[in-house]
Amino acid sequence: MSGESARRVAITGLGVVSPWGSDVEEFFDRLLAGESAIRHHRTDDGHLSISMPAVHCPHFDATQEVGRASAAMDRSAQMSFAASNQAWQQAGLPIPEQPDRGAAVYWGTALAGTLTYEQGYREMLQKGRERVPPLSLILGMNNAAASHLAIHFRLGGPCLTYTIACASAAAAIGEAWQAIRDGRCRVALTGGADSPMSLAVVRAWEALRVLAPIGNRGAEAACRPFSKDRAGLVLAEGAAALVLEEWEHARGRGARILAELAGYGSTCDASHLVKPSADGQYDAMHQALTTAALGPGDIDYLNAHGTATREGDPIEIEAIRRLYGEHAPGLAVSATKSMHGHLMGATGATEALVCVQALRRNATPPTAHLAELEPACAGVAHVREAGVERPLRACMSNSFAFGGSNSVMVLRQAEGT
Amino acid sequence: MDALTLIRDFVCSHSEIDREAVVPDAVLAEVGIDSLMLLEVMFEYEEKTGVKLPDDLPTPVTVQDLIDQLDRLAPGSAS
Repeated sequence: MSGESARRVAITGLGVVSPWGSDVEEFFDRLLAGESAIRHHRTDDGHLSISMPAVHCPHFDATQEVGRASAAMDRSAQMSFAASNQAWQQAGLPIPEQPDRGAAVYWGTALAGTLTYEQGYREMLQKGRERVPPLSLILGMNNAAASHLAIHFRLGGPCLTYTIACASAAAAIGEAWQAIRDGRCRVALTGGADSPMSLAVVRAWEALRVLAPIGNRGAEAACRPFSKDRAGLVLAEGAAALVLEEWEHARGRGARILAELAGYGSTCDASHLVKPSADGQYDAMHQALTTAALGPGDIDYLNAHGTATREGDPIEIEAIRRLYGEHAPGLAVSATKSMHGHLMGATGATEALVCVQALRRNATPPTAHLAELEPACAGVAHVREAGVERPLRACMSNSFAFGGSNSVMVLRQAEGT
Repeated sequence: MDALTLIRDFVCSHSEIDREAVVPDAVLAEVGIDSLMLLEVMFEYEEKTGVKLPDDLPTPVTVQDLIDQLDRLAPGSAS
């Protein structure tokens, strides 16, 4: 990490594909109000049917938001494009005639074109066909979304896709931050997308026994991070995009700076594929703080990874308590997955976007459905109430993944703009 | 369905290019049918007609080149 770099990183554009539509302000308003987008997701396919709580984006219309080019994209790439288009427009950046070698794509996805491949299997194994359409590979490849973005926006610098499960987009954003700090690019279109509702993926998650059931509180309240009665995570689809720029580049062109991406930490537990480690999480958070040149007392809000698994939540809070020490009891913490679900590889981008909006609005969205706190998750200021406004100087966003990867970002107010 | 209609339908569903721009003299790449999209057109043709196109077809340059290739291989064609 190059904490001494003079280059700062500005966030100048945001975009989202959410269950409430493709509008950043509405997405944040709903979260701030404590509204859950989780619904009972059902398919009618005999013994292959799906019935579970999940988050879909029913308003997403690829023909409208992407155009006819969407025919050559998997759903996750379509969502990537739509979110990126919003972010690019908000940033007010041009699309040059020739590829700009100083502009990059850093994208995150855990599952990429899974839906495309599953469709191919269905055609062959269920319908008896011998082959799949010629674009199947191009739609399904992990870097498809990033490549579409590079082509459309003429981003001729690095075009990289990060796939480290649930920390994919957080790593992509963090590595873009590092690339700008290092002077490898001036602008980076970054974020992530996933659409994980393929049958094979759902069945694989079910087999791990970490998906929340609908339970007696209904689908909307199925995901209850930090709650004594938490019962697991909820799969969600969607995308979020951020435009990052070298600070002086953004200022020089008169761009509106929404927030600063100030720090990033990246570690691996290097101990177990699915059992998280407080040590690895602590070190990632510590790195993020250090590279931001901030201390524990400077962070006013932490958007937790908080998936609502039995094991994961207490370990994250343990790591937070250890890092924040005397400041932990006053640290506002929430897990917005209780409302937007777990977007897999896109979740880090979605939650970074939530942090930017929290800074802009000086408001903290709650952890929904947190009635009775798990005692092992005590020791921080859990945000339970909707609509809480408070002055925020800086935020931390945690993303932790199966495989042991931990990616943490620190974001702060856009001062000096 | 004749080959020109199939090509026009394909272009309209995959790009913003006007149907009327897809005329026999048009260069395929200029109406959005690059090498990748050509594979999709051939796949769609095979699906609709049941004809298996050989792998060693010469690469067509214009819409008319492609029409000629497809017509030659169409069911009931003399060739």
